[in-house]
Amino acid sequence: MHFSKFMLIIAMVCVVFAEAGCSSSSSSGGDTSADPQGKVNLVFWSHQEDAIVGAYKKLISKYQTLHPDITIEYQTFPYDVYSQKLKASFSAKKPPDIAEFFGTWVPEYSKNGLLVEIPDSENVKKEYYDAPLGGYLRDNKLYGLPLEYNIENGGMLIHPQMLKDQGFDHAPSNWTELVDYAKKLTVRENNVIKVKGFDFVSADNITFTFLSLILQQGASFMGEDEHVNFHSPEAEKAMSTLVSLVADDKVADLTTFGGELDTSDYFFQGKSAMTYRGPWTIAAGQNNYEVDDFEYVSVPSFTENPPVFAAESGWGLAVSQKSKQQEAALDFIQFISEKDNLSTWNTDTFTVPAKKEIAENPEFLKNNPHLKPSLDILALGQWIGPIADRDFFFKQVNDNFQLMASGQQSVQDGLANIEQTINDNQDQHK
Amino acid sequence: MSTAISTNKADKVNPAVKSTAYRAKRRFIIISLVPILLLFGVFAFLPIAWSLGLSAFKYDPLSSNAIFVGAENYIRMFQDSIFLKSLWVTFKFVFIAVLINIVITLLIASAIQRVRIPWLKNGFRTIFFLPTIAPLAGTAIVWNTMFNYNDGLFNMILAKMNMAPIQWLSDPHYALYSVIMMTLWADIGYNIVLFIAGLDSIPDMYYEAATLEGAGRWHVFLHITLPLLRRTLLFVSITTVVSYFQAFPQFQIMTKGGPFNETRVLSLQIYEQAFSSSNMGYASAMATVFLMIILLVTLLQLRWGRTQWEH
Repeated sequence: MHFSKFMLIIAMVCVVFAEAGCSSSSSSGGDTSADPQGKVNLVFWSHQEDAIVGAYKKLISKYQTLHPDITIEYQTFPYDVYSQKLKASFSAKKPPDIAEFFGTWVPEYSKNGLLVEIPDSENVKKEYYDAPLGGYLRDNKLYGLPLEYNIENGGMLIHPQMLKDQGFDHAPSNWTELVDYAKKLTVRENNVIKVKGFDFVSADNITFTFLSLILQQGASFMGEDEHVNFHSPEAEKAMSTLVSLVADDKVADLTTFGGELDTSDYFFQGKSAMTYRGPWTIAAGQNNYEVDDFEYVSVPSFTENPPVFAAESGWGLAVSQKSKQQEAALDFIQFISEKDNLSTWNTDTFTVPAKKEIAENPEFLKNNPHLKPSLDILALGQWIGPIADRDFFFKQVNDNFQLMASGQQSVQDGLANIEQTINDNQDQHK
Repeated sequence: MSTAISTNKADKVNPAVKSTAYRAKRRFIIISLVPILLLFGVFAFLPIAWSLGLSAFKYDPLSSNAIFVGAENYIRMFQDSIFLKSLWVTFKFVFIAVLINIVITLLIASAIQRVRIPWLKNGFRTIFFLPTIAPLAGTAIVWNTMFNYNDGLFNMILAKMNMAPIQWLSDPHYALYSVIMMTLWADIGYNIVLFIAGLDSIPDMYYEAATLEGAGRWHVFLHITLPLLRRTLLFVSITTVVSYFQAFPQFQIMTKGGPFNETRVLSLQIYEQAFSSSNMGYASAMATVFLMIILLVTLLQLRWGRTQWEH
């Protein structure tokens, strides 16, 4: 009998320890509220990127000065783990009060009722471009405010001197000229490309360029029931064009794809003459490589149509439904989204504004002249659509593109594979 | 003689005292085992049972609802080309890596075991064991830099030999073998130490007898060393197979399953389905199948490798 009691005590101690270990409170997560002195504490999470972290800190400090009764506990996480950290915290019902979201992630949260609706959605959304807003909207209601317009299209980095050396005194003005330039700018040594004429082979740009070339032909890539449609003649023409740039024109190759460096890094190292990339890469050139012998120019349309393009919703802020201080949290993200504050944030982070009044402000362009090619086409952007798993979508396009470009698969088979796997995945998330 | 006396003494012990001693012994065993059993129960068996249950549901951790789908996740799995590919890649990786591992480690261990100078023998053992001390994730990051196409060590060596550079991690022909190379470097130390211990435990008399009979080195290795090392071989092969089936950090860090899923092992596929794609039910079904595979392979190894041999 004594023995049983003893065993019971041991077992209880173990269970208590295990329970204590599993449920220990953490400062991260939304365990925040007003303290006895009436001071409000908010937990705010974002991903780690020097410029972005610096810009947030600046605005947090300004906000706390204006609201001495509110303290914002700002925590950051490396990009690679941030998405999963967010998912884990929300599924454990311990989310931060305010979280930075990439727009494409938001629908999964908003459809499960995990985010607070932005007040006066109907009017607020008019202040933003459609493309960056897409991910934050659900049933016409807004579940977050985009801070930037995620744009990977419409602009490219060029080395003017390389163009001049080949006798080109201006950037290519149409697609034929672009291909012609690219061929002449490509430098080879023993059949190995030393300088790529036109590099678009990056994890984001293959997909974005492919989708934009479809749109520029006046077609759509979204079919019915949230399925993609890649068996159209326009999709085949778009993919054939991209494959041809690698397989036939040989102005780019797959050698650096999937490596540690970004295509813009290779550009700033002088290993490509023209690189299709978003304007955020300009900062890397100026800050990391300290080079200024480059320009950021418009990429011409694939057709006679305007250079319309597909875009994801970029980084933005949302408030957790579980937050005990929803009002204060909403007030903070509205404060960051005010014209002057957001303009500062966009300038500091080298991002393209999602808010029309900032993008159209001549003062903003004056402070950010490199962004002109992007600012000129913002109204032509279309939201990429309700993609359930963004990484999966892009991976399917990239994997199959590599097979097509290396001649291991026909364009038709590649597109059929992409379409089927993406649509199967979309169905799994319904 | 002394044994006989003590047995006689034991026989004379009062049954009541014997029973008390037996209870005390049993109590000690149970007290020692309860904490670890609780730990296993909470952190190993409960998650396995939970995962088994979850495999019959469509479950997104962000959603409050889990939809019962029965065997749908299992049926889907065998129509999923990425799952089938990952299964194939896993078996390919395990087969090649385990085979090379055991051959290399046995050869190295045999060589080290022949070294008769103690400090040199210990030195070799330490050198080969050192890489296993480093965390696998850190090792993978370092090897990533060595596999770099532009400035990596391996392509620099190839360049010195006037050979074309290789896309070690992004060429589908080389990627899996590159990861195998890194895994072997990081991992062979364990098996070398185990094999050395196994080789050391074989009594010298067998070798002396073989030498007297005029047996050659290869003959001795084949007919004396290998049979007497069978228990060690069984242990090494089972632990290596199980650990290679579960290989994850090197694939996650070095290739993320690419290129074209050529390095997408099952553990990586399960992780991505569960935590990136939020298909917890489907990932649980895959984990269940994975558990069965490892269990089956281990049981087969135990059956084929069992021996009654003692020395």
